Amino acid sequence: MDRTRFGTRMLPGSEAYAEVQEWLHREAELLDDREERAWLANMVSRDVVYQVPIRQTVRRADGDGFARDGFHLDESYGSLLVRVERNLSPSAWTEDPPPRTRRFVTNIRATAEGDDAFGVRSNLLIYRTRQDEAQPSLLAAERRDLLCRTGDALLLRRRLVLLDLTVLQVPNLGYFF
Amino acid sequence: MYDQLHARAIIDALAAQVPLGHAPAEIFGSDDVYQHELRRIFARCWVFLAHESEIPRRNDFVRRKVGEDDFIVVRDRHGTVRVLLDACRHRGVAVCRADKGNTPQFRCPYHGWTYDTSGRLTGAPAWREALAGLPREEYGLLPAAQVGVCHGLIFATLDRTAPSLDEYLGGMSWYLDLVFGLNDAGVEVLAPPQRLVISANWKSGAENFAGDDYHLATLHRSVWEVGAYPVPFEDDMVGYHIQAAPGHSLSLSMDPDADEPGPYFYGMPDDLVASFSTALVTGEQLRFARYIRAFVGNVFPNFSVLAQPATEDVRAHPATGVITIRTWQPRGPGEMEVWCWFCAYRNMSAAQKRRSLTAGLGTSSFGGAFEMDDAEPWASTSRTGRSVAAQLLGLTYNYQMGSEGVGRARRVPGFPGPGVVFAPRYEEGVQRNFLRFYAELMRCPDGQWPVLPLG
Repeated sequence: MDRTRFGTRMLPGSEAYAEVQEWLHREAELLDDREERAWLANMVSRDVVYQVPIRQTVRRADGDGFARDGFHLDESYGSLLVRVERNLSPSAWTEDPPPRTRRFVTNIRATAEGDDAFGVRSNLLIYRTRQDEAQPSLLAAERRDLLCRTGDALLLRRRLVLLDLTVLQVPNLGYFF
Repeated sequence: MYDQLHARAIIDALAAQVPLGHAPAEIFGSDDVYQHELRRIFARCWVFLAHESEIPRRNDFVRRKVGEDDFIVVRDRHGTVRVLLDACRHRGVAVCRADKGNTPQFRCPYHGWTYDTSGRLTGAPAWREALAGLPREEYGLLPAAQVGVCHGLIFATLDRTAPSLDEYLGGMSWYLDLVFGLNDAGVEVLAPPQRLVISANWKSGAENFAGDDYHLATLHRSVWEVGAYPVPFEDDMVGYHIQAAPGHSLSLSMDPDADEPGPYFYGMPDDLVASFSTALVTGEQLRFARYIRAFVGNVFPNFSVLAQPATEDVRAHPATGVITIRTWQPRGPGEMEVWCWFCAYRNMSAAQKRRSLTAGLGTSSFGGAFEMDDAEPWASTSRTGRSVAAQLLGLTYNYQMGSEGVGRARRVPGFPGPGVVFAPRYEEGVQRNFLRFYAELMRCPDGQWPVLPLG
């Protein structure tokens, strides 16, 4: 996880940056609107690697605490499709009545990766409530994405979700980050 | 302090109701009951802390919980596993400030009292000026009263008078062998534990894993809809509910019939199965384990084991064996922290371990098809446990399934393993066994242990 590479970042306001920014906003809109099937069909590459590593508190000398081989979620296109399908089942009790989510996507930083791909980092805050809860579940993360152009569309090929929390205060991980 | 008389009244009611198949809702909601549990249950029982594979080298440590308290689980420089209260003997400050790591010493950040990995106080700043004359050997980190290991699973108790781990597990050992002891390579933990805080009482997790198969039909119907579990639901209810020892219960999906189509051995890969032997188990245990499709059980109070075939994406991968272990850590009457580890036999290939982990994450974790929905009812059980109306109107929770005159479960005579066994799995004696032992331990004075019949 190289944190020092700034050289090839695209400038905010440039056409390419605007395209990436619009892509992230569009994605958040689809997921907040529970259009998960459309999100998966239109925005996610068939060879996607989508991972949420487990984080532990470790001393500074031991690194950032993210497990290399341990995950909260470790998804392929197929397993994401299973989750999308399951969420539509009347037996997906946590999804009906649906939780309400609001995604806040900020601090978008993008680099060109060759002609047809972008490396994108963004900060994500998901505010989720269920039933009559007044206190939201809040999850904050940095996302590290690789978006690739296929035909006219940008597709998500790689997503690494770096959560801030080591202990998640959420009833489940039925989230799309 | 808390109202012990109030706790005692609720537990007396529980003890009276369990034989009739009922339990007062308040045991899932009362703060007085909860405070009593911290002292009578978590301060006395053997609780699971870590697997030896998490601390393979000398001076490796992880930080874990007994009740609400932090303990350092550390392999000292002699290779001995120590379980030490994470509180400096000077002002009680935590000396371990990470979830895991490797260190020759733990140094208190307040005044610098320093301990080695055996827990001995080795020094402090300006010792001669400040502390000369203090008997250093009396001020080590406080160790758990007893530490025990079973198949690499590290348990500890804070009670010197508790029976040994072997005695405590009793008949449950025979069944734990069937998951963890099928060859002499043994099992290792694949990744750090997932940790989630959910708004539910710890007993909901424990009693569920004690053998609540009945909830599969409703809460987890979606699992069958997406094909994440290979045994058809009705076939899966064929099996046994086992009260292995007082407090410890399990449930097995199995059909020991020569024509049974499997999966065998929890759906473990064939070449792993070929390595299974009688090195650590008897021939009878090995023959028996072959027919187990799924194993779910709870070691009293809050350590659960699940082994079963599963897949996160049936279109891409057939189900494979998954082993996951849990603790349901108490954090108040209406809150628990779930710790979830995935395990695999050490002699599996890296690819097999990876496959098992991915299948497990997609099914038996809180991001998986099974457990995504579990927190939902458990939170309700706990809320109702705090309900004034439930108390006034006399709501009790029903645990009668499979008892005399209710349902069709029958006692199974001549079973190869220890304990009291019922079949099929439409049965709640496994939960009554949990609650009966719980009630007796809550009433049993310090220094004594309940002696209870099963059944």
